[in-house]
Amino acid sequence: MKQVRFRLILGLIAGAALVAAAATPPQAHFTPQSLSAAKALGSSSAPIRIDEWADYECPACRNFYQGTVRPMIDNYVSTGKVYFVYHDFPLAMHAYSRDAARWANAAAAAGFFEPVQQALFAKQDDWSATGKIEPVVAAALSPAEMRKVQLIYQQDAAQLDAAVASDLAMGQQRNIDQTPSIFVTARGNTQALPPGGVSYTLMKQYLDYLLAH
Amino acid sequence: MTWWLTLAGRLFIGALFIWAAYSKLRNPWMLFAMAVDSYQMLPIWAVEFVARTLPWAELVLGAMLIFGIWVRWAAVGTSAMLAVFVTGVVRAYAKGLEINCGCFSNNEPLTKFTIVRDATLLAISLAVAVMAFLAHRRARHSS
Repeated sequence: MKQVRFRLILGLIAGAALVAAAATPPQAHFTPQSLSAAKALGSSSAPIRIDEWADYECPACRNFYQGTVRPMIDNYVSTGKVYFVYHDFPLAMHAYSRDAARWANAAAAAGFFEPVQQALFAKQDDWSATGKIEPVVAAALSPAEMRKVQLIYQQDAAQLDAAVASDLAMGQQRNIDQTPSIFVTARGNTQALPPGGVSYTLMKQYLDYLLAH
Repeated sequence: MTWWLTLAGRLFIGALFIWAAYSKLRNPWMLFAMAVDSYQMLPIWAVEFVARTLPWAELVLGAMLIFGIWVRWAAVGTSAMLAVFVTGVVRAYAKGLEINCGCFSNNEPLTKFTIVRDATLLAISLAVAVMAFLAHRRARHSS
């Protein structure tokens, strides 16, 4: 009888432990620093590093991404000449940019940053009017990929917000007050480009100059 | 008195233009081109042309004013350039473009102060040009 009671108590304790474990969300496996690396494209040993602070709801950021960043990725990042690091800088005037940054960071944590970033800028007009960002992200990913991103978005919201806040703080340290703000570093010297975006024609010539000198 | 004012104006505008030229020429021309492009006034070929030539024009005109070479025409040149600059900054400000001036460096935001400053420089440059022409006419009549 005593043995049965003991086993019953042991079983209840084990069951309670299992329930508690299931109720506790798993710890986030990323930090602001690891997310920063996940939002970077190219080789960190590239001779040129470009840091951009941008807002997903900013039209100039969209134009810069589509007109300059995309060809730059094809011609300079993929060939190991440029290491491109994206940082979030959601502006207070944009109602949904923080949420968009949260989704993008969740996608970065899951390893799907590039397609989600592309989708957010491509469909900016749609989601910035309605705030419906999740369908835009879902359209860019497979169902299985979307489930991973959703899990991170729902369970690690505090860590995602911390990552966005970290990017914002870094930008404020550089006295950034508008987007996109772009900094080019080569041979230890960092040059701020005129804010608001730069055409690919001029960016290309500048990068070629830096690579040649 | 007029002579001293003309000299002071000449040296001031001349030094400013040389400084503006130096601040642009010490960096690759593409950076100044990016600043010009941000005004959204010119096609890209014109942006590149302006970026490659304008700093040299500033340098030459500034040196002409400093060394007293063809002062009347140098002052007309600086006045024309400043008139274009004032037009550009007023237009950009009116359009709400949040850009950098590109006047002396890449990091100076375009504000109301930029308009006031450039308009003041234009007035000084015009005054130098007018006084230089008057002085030339007086010299011709007295000789």
